[in-house]
Amino acid sequence: MTVLQLDSVTKRFGDFTAVDRASFSLDKGKILSLLGPSGCGKTTTLRMIAGFEAPDEGRVLIAGQDTRGKRPYERNVGLLFQDYALFPHMTVEQNVAYGLKRRGYERTAMQGRIQEMLDLVKLSEFAARRPGQLSGGQQQRVALARSLATGPEVVLLDEPLSALDAKLRQELRIELKQILDAVGATTIVVTHDQEEAMSLGDTVIVMSRGRIMQEGPPTEIYKDPRTKFVAEFIGRSNWFSGDLVESAGDGVSRFETSEGLSLLVPAPNGVLAGAEGYEVCVRPERIHAGDRSAETAGTEVVNRLAGTVRDIAHLGADIHLVIELEGGRLIVASEQYLGQALEQEGEAVELTFRPMDCIIVPAGS
Amino acid sequence: MSRHVDDVGKWLVWIAIAATFVFLVAPIVVAIMMSFDARGYLGRFPPPDYSIQWYVNFFSDTFYLTGLRTSIVLAVIATAVSTVAGVSAAIVLDRYDFPGKQAVETLFLSPLIIPAVVIGFALLLFFALIGVFQGFPRLLAGHIVITFPYTVRTTLAGLVGIRKTLTEAAMVLGANERQAFWDVTFPLARTGMVAGAVFAFAFSMDDVAVSLFLTSPDTYTLPVAMVSMMRTNFDLTIAAASVVLMLFTVGLIVLLDWIVGLERLIGGGVYRS
Repeated sequence: MTVLQLDSVTKRFGDFTAVDRASFSLDKGKILSLLGPSGCGKTTTLRMIAGFEAPDEGRVLIAGQDTRGKRPYERNVGLLFQDYALFPHMTVEQNVAYGLKRRGYERTAMQGRIQEMLDLVKLSEFAARRPGQLSGGQQQRVALARSLATGPEVVLLDEPLSALDAKLRQELRIELKQILDAVGATTIVVTHDQEEAMSLGDTVIVMSRGRIMQEGPPTEIYKDPRTKFVAEFIGRSNWFSGDLVESAGDGVSRFETSEGLSLLVPAPNGVLAGAEGYEVCVRPERIHAGDRSAETAGTEVVNRLAGTVRDIAHLGADIHLVIELEGGRLIVASEQYLGQALEQEGEAVELTFRPMDCIIVPAGS
Repeated sequence: MSRHVDDVGKWLVWIAIAATFVFLVAPIVVAIMMSFDARGYLGRFPPPDYSIQWYVNFFSDTFYLTGLRTSIVLAVIATAVSTVAGVSAAIVLDRYDFPGKQAVETLFLSPLIIPAVVIGFALLLFFALIGVFQGFPRLLAGHIVITFPYTVRTTLAGLVGIRKTLTEAAMVLGANERQAFWDVTFPLARTGMVAGAVFAFAFSMDDVAVSLFLTSPDTYTLPVAMVSMMRTNFDLTIAAASVVLMLFTVGLIVLLDWIVGLERLIGGGVYRS
């Protein structure tokens, strides 16, 4: 069941178009991540759903109802602010109770609901504390409990973890996901952090300059980005510019890079077909760096590039290799560290990757 | 090097404290002690004996009592008016953007910069021009003008520290604009408002410069009465009057400290974390 629907929503501030014809819908109990760099329009989108901004064009429907002209308090939307916005003069309990009180809950129903919410975020013993006496993580959970208490149709999370330090962020991300799943909340997460977006969202929408660039499950966004922006924003990549020269059959095309390399890449089809030029990227983890003398088994079609190891960085679970190709071009490859013998700096290696490991996007997109 | 700077700083602080004591506290202590002088004339300090004769004098002198009553009534009304007006003005200045906002803000605070004597004289001319010759309305207008900047400024200082997301949080939780103001903004800005009201009262009670111009023969404030008594028959009743006046101000500061201290206590010490 569709709970939230945006229908070609546009918002302008003077000459600046903050959100440009954004359309998407969200089903009950699903989590949607709005991902993009700052200024891409994701926060404005959020504020239009909450009712703090009115769209210039298009419609926002919550539970099938057009929200035009409805003030924030006339909608049933939960909002977790980036700075949590806890009321400093109220206790944890009073903070959680505030929405219930304003939405006209009965006293007895209210007590039960408060307890339920505090149990959910595991803060029952802090009920009488004030926000100033809690840690950042605890404050975030109070804010979450407060926004979920009234059983909103949609819960909006504005950069929910950005105010926390890196280690805590990872812990709380898992906890946040559990809580949202436990209450079955229909949720939109606004974030500029791709890991956050991918791990929390059932669906990810990537935005840039007010436009929706791509929408899809996290895996699809990562595997099949349709524009250079999306491919660059999510994950690391090695880029090649050049020209498609010929079809190599079986859904594979030959791509001549500007450095003079010849790569076998997936033939552009569907939405990608018919573009004027293309760029190709290969994720570091898809590139295998092997001994040049070793015979590659099998008859599979692969790209082979000869190079020399210039740098090795051991990042815990992963190893990053910087490899210089014969023309001087640098390529980053990564592999999991499973205790194997590592390549040495200056060692000659052969890079191999399959055509389907390459991502092809329209040039300049 | 920085140690020397620290030492110099420390000495300067001590000198400032000593100077404050000598020039502010000591004269007050002298005035308080003299107000209890048992001698019937203005003798040398310290008084050889103590009595409350000057206080008896003060509280039986209709000239002083009329001044005291006017001062209190004036301070109460002026404080009430300038607090309501100041708080409203501060809320508008804090919440809304409009052309000329900066100019309006400066205008509101201008009585702090313009010498009180100038304000008093200007008001006197103005009231003569529009034909208001009764003392009380003139004094009231003058006192509102001089206390208004304090209520605007302290309230504004309190409001500026309140994040806008707090109001938005209240609204998304079901509060309309009015409820959000009373539930969130008002309690958080209350300290600033109370401080403004206390300052307004203290400055109204204390003012001579503006009041001097605006009094009429039958309506004058206590400080004005003290000034005119000092010129005609100088005795230690003035010392007693000073102590009475001071008690009002001190009482207010204690009250303010108590209220602000209480707010901190309730707020758990972290209001704007």
